[in-house]
Amino acid sequence: MRDFFARHGVWILCATAVVAVTLSVLSYFSATSSVFHDAVGVVSAPFRAAGEAVSGWFEDKRRYYESYNDLMEENQALREEVAALRADARQAEKDRAENARLRELLDLRAQRRDLVFEAAKVLEHSTGNWASTLTLNCGTKHGVAEKNVVVSSEGYLVGIVTEVGTNWCTVRTIVDTETELGAVLFRTGDVVVAEGELALMGENRLRAVYLPDDATLLIGDYVLTSGLGGYYPSDLVIGTVERVEADDNGYAQYAVLRPMVSFDDLTEVFVIKEFDIVE
Amino acid sequence: MLTRQEMWIKWTLYTLAVLLLTLAFALTLRGARPLGVCFYLPPLFVGVVASLEGARAGAIFALCYGAVCDLALPGTLPCVHTLAFVLAAMACAVVAQSLFQPGAICSAVCTLIVFAVFDAFNMLALAIADRAPFVTMLSITLRETAVSLPLLVAVHPVLIRLHRRFVF
Repeated sequence: MRDFFARHGVWILCATAVVAVTLSVLSYFSATSSVFHDAVGVVSAPFRAAGEAVSGWFEDKRRYYESYNDLMEENQALREEVAALRADARQAEKDRAENARLRELLDLRAQRRDLVFEAAKVLEHSTGNWASTLTLNCGTKHGVAEKNVVVSSEGYLVGIVTEVGTNWCTVRTIVDTETELGAVLFRTGDVVVAEGELALMGENRLRAVYLPDDATLLIGDYVLTSGLGGYYPSDLVIGTVERVEADDNGYAQYAVLRPMVSFDDLTEVFVIKEFDIVE
Repeated sequence: MLTRQEMWIKWTLYTLAVLLLTLAFALTLRGARPLGVCFYLPPLFVGVVASLEGARAGAIFALCYGAVCDLALPGTLPCVHTLAFVLAAMACAVVAQSLFQPGAICSAVCTLIVFAVFDAFNMLALAIADRAPFVTMLSITLRETAVSLPLLVAVHPVLIRLHRRFVF
């Protein structure tokens, strides 16, 4: 054994150092993804898609037989929710018309939300416990770029593109520990920061920090992107308040947020490639 | 002593076995989160191969496999798999050649070493970035190891059978 380390150990460690430094440097300096990352991503994309399709099929079958009663209950709850939402929509229609008239009187620019979407399928869900990611089947050739925002088909925030290859991209979900987003509490208008936390990531939750001292949170309050700074579109739903807890020191409070999407169940998402919002 | 051709055949078979096992686990265990964590396979392959093949071959396998993992999987550092797997493979080889005879127990001990080194790197990366408290990271490490280690029941027999085909 001593002989081995004398003869080969140093060389293997040198090779390891070279590979590690190369990977780190390429990752740091590359605007999208490094050549090697891209090549591995392109080659593995069909296999990831096939694996996801097969395991998704098994999952669908399992759920089909398992959750009939749950679906019946959910159906009833959704019917009631639809009735309430229809009433809200009627009121919102009146409010919208009134808002347009008032803006015209005040000579303000008309509100608009121009978002350019790219539809994408989820090739792979997170495979580790230290990061929460999704791999999508669109990349630079579809116009996707780093820091693009990804939303679900309902328009709920899913995450941010962190790495892009030719026909794939990696999305860090909003529960990942690297996530830090400007957010706003919809009901009160308080500005907060939504961030991922390792302990909450396992539960698919994130938290809202820097709550104002006089913040009055209610369970179920919506938290939206603030859009401050113009990096991300505003008014995308991040999640709802699930509970409020004190931090380790006991001096400050934070709210645990429940995302509107179930990341494990996502199969199709939309990347917002460009946006122009006037509020 | 294996000929060059036999060496190529052996490592091609190892590669195929790792790919097939990865695919099989991905198909069957996707989305399963016992104890709140998902199964993590790569350390199992590194631990078993290093315990069977010794320091030099084990470390070279760990280097190649770690680099592929870094290119294909997200991580706390761009080179976390490469660094952790090579160091762990060397430690495994020492254990396999001086403390245990290669076998199921040896593979289990080596896999524990790989998980310990790999998660130590992850914890260090997150601690430096101040992104998680130590207790939380330790809890994830312990749960991830406890959940993934039993998968050796499937991984070890396949790889040891391959290894024995090429031992004279």
